[in-house]
Amino acid sequence: MTQVKLSGLTKIFDAKNPPAVDQLDLDIDSGKLTALLGPSGCGKTTTMKMIAGLLRPTSGDILFDGNSILSIKPEERGAVMVFQNYLLFPYMSIADNIGFGLKMRKVSKKEIRSRVTDMLDLVQLPGFEDRKPNQLSGGQQQRIALARALIVEPNVLLLDEPLSNLDAHLRDEMRVLIRRIQTEMGITTVFVTHDQEEAVVLADKVALLFDGRLQQFDSPDAFYDTPRSAEIATFFGGTNFIPGHYQDGVMKTDIGNFKAPHSAVGDGAAMLSIRPEAIELGVGGDNSVAGTILSHVYAGRYARFQVKIGDLEIEAITEPGQVKLFGDGDTVPVNFAPDKIWILEANSTPQPVGADSAG
Amino acid sequence: MKMRLTEKGAQRLSISFLLAPALAVIILLFLGGLITGLLRSLNYFPLIGLNDFNFEAYVAIFTDNGFIQSLVLTFHIAFTSTLISCILAVAAALLLRPAFRGKRIVHFFFSLNLTIPHLVGAIGVLYLFQNSGLVSRIMTGLDLISKPADFPAMVFDPWAIGIIIQYVWKEIPFIGVIVLAILLSVGEDYESVARSLGANRWQAFRQVTLPLIMPGVVSASVIVFAFTFGAFEIPYLLGRTFPAALPVLAYQSYTDVDLAARPQAMAMAMVIAFISTLLIMAYMKLSRVYIRE
Ligand SMILES: Nc1ncnc2c1ncn2[C@@H]1O[C@H](COP(=O)(O)OP(=O)(O)OP(=O)(O)O)[C@@H](O)[C@H]1O
Ligand SMILES: [Mg+2]
Repeated sequence: MTQVKLSGLTKIFDAKNPPAVDQLDLDIDSGKLTALLGPSGCGKTTTMKMIAGLLRPTSGDILFDGNSILSIKPEERGAVMVFQNYLLFPYMSIADNIGFGLKMRKVSKKEIRSRVTDMLDLVQLPGFEDRKPNQLSGGQQQRIALARALIVEPNVLLLDEPLSNLDAHLRDEMRVLIRRIQTEMGITTVFVTHDQEEAVVLADKVALLFDGRLQQFDSPDAFYDTPRSAEIATFFGGTNFIPGHYQDGVMKTDIGNFKAPHSAVGDGAAMLSIRPEAIELGVGGDNSVAGTILSHVYAGRYARFQVKIGDLEIEAITEPGQVKLFGDGDTVPVNFAPDKIWILEANSTPQPVGADSAG
Repeated sequence: MKMRLTEKGAQRLSISFLLAPALAVIILLFLGGLITGLLRSLNYFPLIGLNDFNFEAYVAIFTDNGFIQSLVLTFHIAFTSTLISCILAVAAALLLRPAFRGKRIVHFFFSLNLTIPHLVGAIGVLYLFQNSGLVSRIMTGLDLISKPADFPAMVFDPWAIGIIIQYVWKEIPFIGVIVLAILLSVGEDYESVARSLGANRWQAFRQVTLPLIMPGVVSASVIVFAFTFGAFEIPYLLGRTFPAALPVLAYQSYTDVDLAARPQAMAMAMVIAFISTLLIMAYMKLSRVYIRE
């Protein structure tokens, strides 16, 4: 097991452009699965390549178990990277592809053959030894690429969007598989994805990156309950934002005052955020205000309401039965449960992801 | 749909008509030359009184020690030039690759001498590497050798060093440009994968990069080999008169005052053509395999 630490890690490809990775600090727990999450072009692959030793950082340091590994060659780091576009060697059979790492380590042919067979069983492609990569589907190639990395039993496994080409069913299976192997073998794993749901489902901890900068590094639920900025909240799915003034645990807004014990900021101008699922229709009380239902959608497993409160329009997601209780044009009490309210910085109004304010 | 097909057919027909004169000339010259050559190599040349077919010319050249020596020398020149060019070209392409990402100017310099004719290169080699050439004089000037004549023979020498130098100089960029194009299109990620899986630099090159560029290297080197095997001017300018490279020997026999040597000259030309054809066929086959992959 290896603990990985990134310290001020920076990569500048071109001085004319902003850094691809900017002052990244990250403590990746030994034997855990950490997701590196962020939109396209935010520097995820670049970070992985630096950890694997395939790209030289412009500045900063990478430590494995407390020792800098910058001067250690990629083949000696014990960190294996699985690339986004799998990159199976085209002229080699599947067996030779999977066995490649062992061949480099001068393992005997016989042992390689038997371990390749085991690996093919593991990724559920038994009997594929003699095929060529171009005879495989994208998803199958992705699994072979995974097998090719796992066979060398790396200390650190770097997976760059390894599930992007699988259909929903296979993706679920592979998630379970990766999770199982990862836990069994205790490999410190960094898993790149731009899908926040995948990050949450798989990872012990999630590092969210925008524009090469770390936004938040937390357990998955924290991104829903206590996002550090409106951008983060937005990235993790729609949230209602209401501007106002925060003082003594109370958020004063144009549509009323709300008790809000949880806050990321101190007193002053602030932004109330509450997820649509947390809003309760038809529930009165201290934190409840009157709203008018504008429209609703029945979606089978849930219902979605657009509600007008004062000049604001908010979204509520409720259990599906509620469509029978409330109709369009009805005025209903709308409850903002204090525990579900999260107060954010005022100027971090929802902006397009990647805007330069969250630093 | 049908309409279009016939239109296309008509178009193709008219193109063939337009090309016909040019094709006729090429076929006449090429095939005519080949057939005439073949007939004459078989001792059929009524103009000078040779009327009966036989293989005497072939027997004569293959039993002639001089011919065998020339054949060996020609193989030596072609093989050594091709091998050295390939190795240096691959090394150069690998070295230049990082500089190439988006830099046209390097590419320009790399391909510059592709446009310089072989003859000019030969004169350059003469000027530089003759016993009285620039290099020997500089070395004399630097007291590395006592007089220019001590400079090792590199032109008109038994090992055809001058010829090989000229070919290598000329062919490195040719092979290099091909290899570089492949390297750039393949990208560096395959090597990264190999390194990440535990291959050291050399293993990554040997196991991953080389197999990826090999089809291109083979194709290029077959062309180079066929060319250096059959080319006349460089061995004529820079080589010995005995043993001479095959094309030179063929030319010597052809211009011999003894008309009886003509069938032998033709037989030699046939041998050169035959070997080159074999190589071109090998090349076509290899490139087809390459495309399929
Ligand atoms: N070799 C390179 N030279 C110059 N710029 C590069 C290079 N590689 C990446 N970049 C730039 O660095 C930034 C980050 O790229 P990176 O590949 O790390 O993104 P990513 O987060 O992996 O995106 P994706 O989800 O699309 O794979 C991008 O703006 C990209 O254009
Ligand atoms: Mg990427």
